[in-house]
Amino acid sequence: MKTGKFWSLKLFLLLVLLVVLAACSGEEGASEEPADTDTSGDTEEAVPQTLVFGRGGDSVSLDPAIVTDGESFKVTENIFETLLNFGEQDTTVNPGLAKEWEVSEDGLTYTFHLQEGVKFHDGTDFNAEAVVKNVERWKGGAEEKFYYFHSMFKSEGEDIIKSVEAVDDYTVVFTLSRPQAPFLKNIAMSPFGIASPTAFESAGDAFGDNPVGTGPFKFVEWKRNDSITVEKNEDYWQEDLPKLDKIIFRSIPDNSARLNALTTGEIDLADGINPSDAATVESNAELQLIERPSMNIGYLGLTTTRKPFDNALVRQAVNYAIDKQAIVDAFFQGRAEVAVNPMPSSISGYNEEIEGYPYDPEKAKELLAEAGYDGEEIELWAMPVPRPYMPDGQKVAEAIQKNLADVGIPSKIVTFEWATYLEKAKNGEADAFLLGWTGDNGDADNFLYTLLDKDTIGSNNYTYYSNEEVHELLISAQSETNEEKRNELYKQAQAIIHEDAPWVPLAHSTPLLAAKKGVTDYFPHPTGSESLINVSIQ
Amino acid sequence: MMPELVSNSVDLSTKEEKVVGPWKEAWRSFRKSKAALVGTAIVVFFILLAVFGPLIAPEGINEQKLQDSSLRLAPPSSEYWFGTDDFGRDIFSRVVYGARISLAVGFLSVILSAVVGSFLGIISGYYGRWIDTIISRIFDIMLAFPSILLAIAIVSILGPSLQNALIAIAIINIPNFGRLIRSKVLSVKEEEYIVAAKAIGMKDSRILWRHILPNSLSPVIVQGTLAIATAIIEAAALSFLGLGAEAPQPEWGKMLSDARVHLMTAPWTMIFPGLAIMLTVLGFNLMGDGLRDALDPKMKN
Repeated sequence: MKTGKFWSLKLFLLLVLLVVLAACSGEEGASEEPADTDTSGDTEEAVPQTLVFGRGGDSVSLDPAIVTDGESFKVTENIFETLLNFGEQDTTVNPGLAKEWEVSEDGLTYTFHLQEGVKFHDGTDFNAEAVVKNVERWKGGAEEKFYYFHSMFKSEGEDIIKSVEAVDDYTVVFTLSRPQAPFLKNIAMSPFGIASPTAFESAGDAFGDNPVGTGPFKFVEWKRNDSITVEKNEDYWQEDLPKLDKIIFRSIPDNSARLNALTTGEIDLADGINPSDAATVESNAELQLIERPSMNIGYLGLTTTRKPFDNALVRQAVNYAIDKQAIVDAFFQGRAEVAVNPMPSSISGYNEEIEGYPYDPEKAKELLAEAGYDGEEIELWAMPVPRPYMPDGQKVAEAIQKNLADVGIPSKIVTFEWATYLEKAKNGEADAFLLGWTGDNGDADNFLYTLLDKDTIGSNNYTYYSNEEVHELLISAQSETNEEKRNELYKQAQAIIHEDAPWVPLAHSTPLLAAKKGVTDYFPHPTGSESLINVSIQ
Repeated sequence: MMPELVSNSVDLSTKEEKVVGPWKEAWRSFRKSKAALVGTAIVVFFILLAVFGPLIAPEGINEQKLQDSSLRLAPPSSEYWFGTDDFGRDIFSRVVYGARISLAVGFLSVILSAVVGSFLGIISGYYGRWIDTIISRIFDIMLAFPSILLAIAIVSILGPSLQNALIAIAIINIPNFGRLIRSKVLSVKEEEYIVAAKAIGMKDSRILWRHILPNSLSPVIVQGTLAIATAIIEAAALSFLGLGAEAPQPEWGKMLSDARVHLMTAPWTMIFPGLAIMLTVLGFNLMGDGLRDALDPKMKN
C-alpha cells in the first residue's frame, strides 16, 4: 500500500512537471534564445523571430481610420498599408500599395496605379474598388469618428476629395475640389491604411477589434491593457518579407519597469526610455540605444474657452511664468530643444524671427494684474503615461505648478486614465493640460492646421483656439502650391499664434528607444510609428 | 450614625493608598518592557517633529531649484542633510513636514474608525439578535476584501486626495474595532454590575455609556495604537499608488513613488522617506505591543 501510493504520487508529480515544461517552452524560448546565439553562433533559422515590443500604453482601437493616438498606429502600421509610404526615416513620399502616380497640371486630379496581386488577410482582393470603398467609408463617416480624415480632407464641411473613381481594376483617380499642397503626404499617413471592405462592412463598429488589412502582419489577439499579438502574413505580396514571425506589443506603462523588462529579457525592444536612463542603456553590452528622429512638440495647452484662459493676457502671463529651459534640462536631460513655435524648426515654414517668451515672473505678474486675474485655483492636467514628447508628465506638471504658484496662480494637478484624459481634454474640460504631438507627415499643415485651426476644434485642437485670421492663412496655405509663398503664410500664422498664446510650447524632444543587441534593421520613424517589416533578430 | 460615616470614609482613603489602580499598574508593567519604552520614545520623537516641524526644517516643502543643476539630486551634505530630490528640494525638510501628514492621517483615521467601530460594536454586542446579525455580517463582508483593495476602491469612488485616503483608511478599519469591542461587550454585559444596573432600572444609554464602554475600552486602546501603524503604511501605500497625497505634499509614500526612478542613481531620495515610514511604524508597533502586555489581564502572571 505505502509504496503504491508513493509511486502514484511520483507519477503525478512527473506529469505536472511535464505539463509545466511544455507550457513554458512555447513562450519563454522565444525571448531567451536570441541572447544565446552570440556565443553559440547558430544558423539563422535557430533564432526564433518573435519580437516583443514594450511600449507605454495600450492602443485605443486597431481601426486606423478612427484613432489619433500613436500607440494605435504602432500596431496598425503593421496590419494595414497605405497607398503611399514615407521614407525609412524621413517624410519623403515613396510607393506603397500604389506603385506609380500622376498629378495633373492644376493639382486637382491624382491618378494612382495600384500594385497587382495583393490580397487582404481575409482573402478579399485588393483593387481599385477596395480603395474607393475605403475612401467612401471615411467620407461618409461622422466627424467625431473619423477625426483624421476630417481634419485632413474636409474644410468647413466641404470635401476636399470631391470624388474617387475606379477607372479599371488597378487604377484609381482622386479628384479634388481645390488644390491641396500636402495631398500626397497626407494620403501616406497611417490613418489612411486601406482596410478590407468585406471586413469593415460586416464588422461595423467592431472592426477595430478585428482589423483586416493587406499588411505584412495579421492580427491574432488583443488582451486589453496587456498585449496585442500579430503574426506573419504568409501570403504577403513582397517577396521574403516580413522577416519576423510574430510581434507582441506589450503595454508596460512605467518607463523604468519597461527598461527593467528589457534588461531581464522579457521584451526585446522598449519604447519610451527615460532620458535619465540613457547612460544605463549605453553602458550595458547586451543593449543598444536607438534615437528616434525628432518631429514633435510637447506643450501646455490653455483652454481658451475657460476662465481664466479666455483672456490672452493671462495666457501670455503663463508663457512668461514657466521656466522652459529649466524643465528641459531637468526632465528631458537636455535631450530636447526648448520650443518657441508650435512646430519643430526642421519643418519648412518655421518662423525663425519669433523669439520665445523669456522666463520672467515679474512680467507675468504685471500681465496678470492687468488682466484682472482673481487668483482662482486652476486645474493643471498631467498625462498619466510617458509620451515620446514628454517622458514624465507628472514631474513636468509639478515644476509648472511651482512656476505658476510663484506668480500667484494656484493650481491642482489632476490626472485621468489616458483614454479618458484625451476624451475630456477634447471636450474642453481642462483648464490647462499637458499634451504633445508627433508630426504625421512632416508638413507645417500637420502641426498648425491640425492643432490650432478652428476647423479642428473637437478633434486635435484641444485648446479651442479659434482665430479667423489664422484660419484664413492656414486655408490658403493648404491650396498654395508655390513653396515659398506657402512658407510665408505659415510664418505669418505663427506670429499671430505667438501673440494669442493658446499654448506654452515646451520642448521638441528626441525620443529614445532601447533594444537588445540582436534586433537589427529597426529604424524608428519620426512620425512615431513604423512598420516592423524589415526587422529581424540575429 | 455620624461617627460611623466618618470612619468609613477614612478607611476608604487609606485603602486607596495601598491598592494600586488598574492604570497605574498597567504603567508599571509597561515600564518594565524596554521595547515598549523605545517604541514610545520613537513615537514621541515623531510627534515632536510633527509639532515643531516648521522650526526644525531648514526650508519649505516645495522650494524647487531647477535652474541650478548641481542642486538637483545632490547627495547628502552638511547643507542638505538628506540630499535633494529631482526638483532640488531639501529631502530633510520634506521628511520633517511629512511627519505631520503621516501622523495626522494615522491618528485621525484611527480615531474615526475607533469611534464608529466602537459604536457599532457596542450596539451589536449589547442588543444582539437581528441588529447584531446585520452589523456583524456587514463587518464580515468588509473583512472579506483585502483591506488595501477596499481602500483603493473607496478612493477611486471618492476621487484621489489625501482627505479621501484618510476616509478610506478609516472605513476599512471599522470592522476590526467593531468586532473587538463586540466580543468584549458580550462578556462584560454578563457581569454582575451590569445585571445589577439593569435590575435597578437604569436606562440602556446610561449602562452603555457609563459602564459598558469604559470597561470594554482597553482592547480598543491597544488595537488603536497598532492600527495607527497600519494606517500610516496604508496611507503611504495609497499615496505611492497616486491615490493619496497630491503634489507637492511631502507625504512619505508619495516621496517614495516620486523617487523610484532614481533608485539606482540617487538612493537617498528613497532611503530617508522609507526610513521615516519604517521608524514610525516600528515605534507604534512596539508601543502597541507593550500596551497590550500591560493592559491585557491574561498576559499577567
